[in-house]
Amino acid sequence: MDEALETRIRELAEQLWRVEPSSWRRPAVALGRRQLGSLDGRPALRSAMFRFVDAAPACRGPLDRGAHLRAFVREVDGEPIPPTLRPLRSRVAPQPLLAAYGLASGPATALLARQFIAGRDVRSATRNLRAMWRQGQAFALDLLGESTVSEAEAEAYSKRCAETLRVLSEVTSEWPEQPLLDADLHGRLPRANLSIKLTALTPLLRPLAPEVGAADAARRLTPLLRLARELGAHVHLDMEDFDSRETLLLAFEEVLSSEEFRSAPSVGVVLQAYLRDADETLDRILSSPAMTGREVPPTIRLVKGAYWDHESVIAGQRGWEAPVWSQKRESDGCFERLTRRLVDARDSVRPAIATHNLRSLAHAIAYHEQRGGTPAELELQVLRGLGDELAEGVARLGYRVRIYTPIGDLVAGMAYLVRRLLENSSNEGFLLRQRHQSLDALLEAPA
Amino acid sequence: MTGFRNHPMLELRRPEVRHDLTAALAALDRELPLQPETLVGGEGRRGEGETSTDPCAPERVIARLGWAGVDAAERALDLALASSWPVREPDDRAGVLERAADLLDERRHRMTALVVREVGKPWEDADAEVCEAIDFLRFYALGAREMAEELVQAPGERNELRLRPRGPAAVISPWNFPLSIPCGMVSAALVMGSPVLFKPAEQSPACGWELARLLLEAGVDADALALLPAAGDLGRWLVAEPRIATIAFTGSVAVGLEIQRRAHEAEDQRQIKRIVAELGGKNCVLVDSDVDLDEAVPAVARSAYGYGGQKCSAASRALVHEGVADRFAERLAGAVELLRVGPAEDFATDVPALIDPDAVAKFGRYADASKGAELARAKPAGGPQYVAPLLVDGDRLPAETPVLREEIFGPLLTVERVRDLDEAADRVQDLPQALTAGVFSRQPDRIDALIDRLPAGVVYVDRAITGAIVGRQPFGGNRLSGTGARAGGRTYLRHFADEQVVSTNVVRHGVVL
Repeated sequence: MDEALETRIRELAEQLWRVEPSSWRRPAVALGRRQLGSLDGRPALRSAMFRFVDAAPACRGPLDRGAHLRAFVREVDGEPIPPTLRPLRSRVAPQPLLAAYGLASGPATALLARQFIAGRDVRSATRNLRAMWRQGQAFALDLLGESTVSEAEAEAYSKRCAETLRVLSEVTSEWPEQPLLDADLHGRLPRANLSIKLTALTPLLRPLAPEVGAADAARRLTPLLRLARELGAHVHLDMEDFDSRETLLLAFEEVLSSEEFRSAPSVGVVLQAYLRDADETLDRILSSPAMTGREVPPTIRLVKGAYWDHESVIAGQRGWEAPVWSQKRESDGCFERLTRRLVDARDSVRPAIATHNLRSLAHAIAYHEQRGGTPAELELQVLRGLGDELAEGVARLGYRVRIYTPIGDLVAGMAYLVRRLLENSSNEGFLLRQRHQSLDALLEAPA
Repeated sequence: MTGFRNHPMLELRRPEVRHDLTAALAALDRELPLQPETLVGGEGRRGEGETSTDPCAPERVIARLGWAGVDAAERALDLALASSWPVREPDDRAGVLERAADLLDERRHRMTALVVREVGKPWEDADAEVCEAIDFLRFYALGAREMAEELVQAPGERNELRLRPRGPAAVISPWNFPLSIPCGMVSAALVMGSPVLFKPAEQSPACGWELARLLLEAGVDADALALLPAAGDLGRWLVAEPRIATIAFTGSVAVGLEIQRRAHEAEDQRQIKRIVAELGGKNCVLVDSDVDLDEAVPAVARSAYGYGGQKCSAASRALVHEGVADRFAERLAGAVELLRVGPAEDFATDVPALIDPDAVAKFGRYADASKGAELARAKPAGGPQYVAPLLVDGDRLPAETPVLREEIFGPLLTVERVRDLDEAADRVQDLPQALTAGVFSRQPDRIDALIDRLPAGVVYVDRAITGAIVGRQPFGGNRLSGTGARAGGRTYLRHFADEQVVSTNVVRHGVVL
């Protein structure tokens, strides 16, 4: 073990740890968190509440919503029910009662969603984005939406991406200079930064025939890249579940290895540390013709990965070894290893370390310092609503922080929201760990 | 069941796994045509005049053979009646099934390739089928070992429930699961001590031949398993034959009812035949107003169009709450237009060719009856047995249309708009078939109330309605869809044995000795 590195990790973690919680400035956030925290240790109630939150936007009006809430609450067995929900447990529930609960729960769900989702569309989110910029936070915008099953839906998503790129470059051009956010050693950093889901760009995703979906996605990605080049925007290709990974990598390799995009736009991909073959994937990305010799170094966003349960369930149902590490410490170890590889490759790529794990974050900064890196050379990323405190800490250390910011309507955003809520209320969740665990436990080396 | 685990499916999303299968297919192609024999007493007899062909490329001959005649069946039946298989230890018989499972696992790539070729089944379904066959063998082997049941005991008496072999079984199997369905029926009969006369479907004799050889190689006595590739006439002979004790059949409702009628017509009937029949369905999916269409649309599409709708469990009617009906139909139509129709061996194929020209003609009649009500159609591939998958607006069909009542067994789904799911349940209850059903809803009490009103043998909630797995979703229908046995369930084996209760007085001279 590298003693000096471990010592520095500890120092940095303590600085990040001591950041004043900002939640008093946002009482709704604090309230939401307290409620989520109260679900910890009550798995049946938690499941009922999340299933309700998931279904609520699809209900037809308050009465229907109230009936759903009642059905979920009545399923909870053997756990204390919060007093506010108890009237729903009675054997008969008159319609006015259901409607009242339905009416109250609508805004509650919306309030919860707003913590994690910045607005319905890019126009309505610009106020939020500008406020973040003023505080020294860049953004990576993500368009939440229904999944793509038809040609028309792929076209609609593609149009939405184009429109968003245009609006983003228009509004961000008037923002004041933020030297740390506007440039790094490689040059200018685009302010307009859009994450694109290739699975939404094609309805032909076939895990058994990735070349089919890749070709179709590439067809729609090409004009978006041209537009981004014209506008000077950054396009980031998001990674999703393992079933779609090969399609994404093929599409990315096909489009970006073309001569046309050699000089621009600025692009990025995602590396998921929870995958057992993440190291090989990084080899593949780094040696891909799509990556080598680009004039603007591509950004590689390192994440842990958001589909761990999904991958484990699918593999369990089919008798496969899951493509993800089974132990959290294995993922964490992989994350640190890949962090080091990316930091060491910073001459040819722009590393972006995206984590809410205190140890992983402190490790990235400590290692970067140890290798003689300057703050401008390393970007740190967090999710809106989940990493606010960490983002403030990172900014105070002088590093560039980018907030992954989803926008979209509530129905479409539910899948994203429910996943975030699960993370936030589970024992693994950063916020709860912060409450329950000592700094020592949080900072234990994963290997 | 203690220690049972489903056999792992192949991870086809990994390129190296697909590569192995493609190589196995090429190796199989070099062997074609196979020459299945009639197997009686372990001896094979080759014939000629008949073929099975690749549905996706009918000029490719998969098997050349001749049909078995009644003489072969007579000989097989004589041997079966004299066989010592019924008196072999149950453990022995279970061991044979387990060896067969191991052999099938060793040959899984080749067998998967054969299913792809002979019945035009795409890889993922073909692999699932091979896994199901392995599962049946292991599940029934374990089940046979754990059949013992405790009866109530009283002082001075000992009560036992024993299971007796019933005598020869006729297994008449379909082409749409040419390996797993006969494997399940044959192995259930064998493990319970019944010798088997196995007549595979005319369209898939090579799969039947490979299965029979594998079972014999695993140690089934030569006189306890006969392979009788033949057309329907031999099936009728087997059904009527008074010395046959059990008939295991999977196929259409019409044939299933005919079997019921004909089974006991012979003068010299000596027993009530046990008929284990899995018949067709007219399977409905109910879609509520609160669904997540992102989940429901692909799941319904997969249920209706997977393997071209040629599964007895396939979705045939979608009954959709009026609150989401338009969106549902619009999105599903978009998905249907994109279905890729093509050869089964192409990993990108969603819908392969139909099994034979008769199936194409039958589908054509339902497509004609749907004219004017089409919501979407996919592009067919070039080849005589490909058809264009259809999505049809059920509300625009005439009231008594067969499209809404008969099993189509092809890639056609109707969408009907309902006021609420109670109305949908009424429509489902009107149907005589009751095999599978699907419910997409997110309100738990509503789901429970609906399930109570659905007569289907297997109800799937918030998921595709095909792909039952051994031990997890024991499969079979109610009403006209079957005799009630659940393949891959714990009680299935009971149908293949006679129960015998033995009560012994253990009191001698006033004391329990």
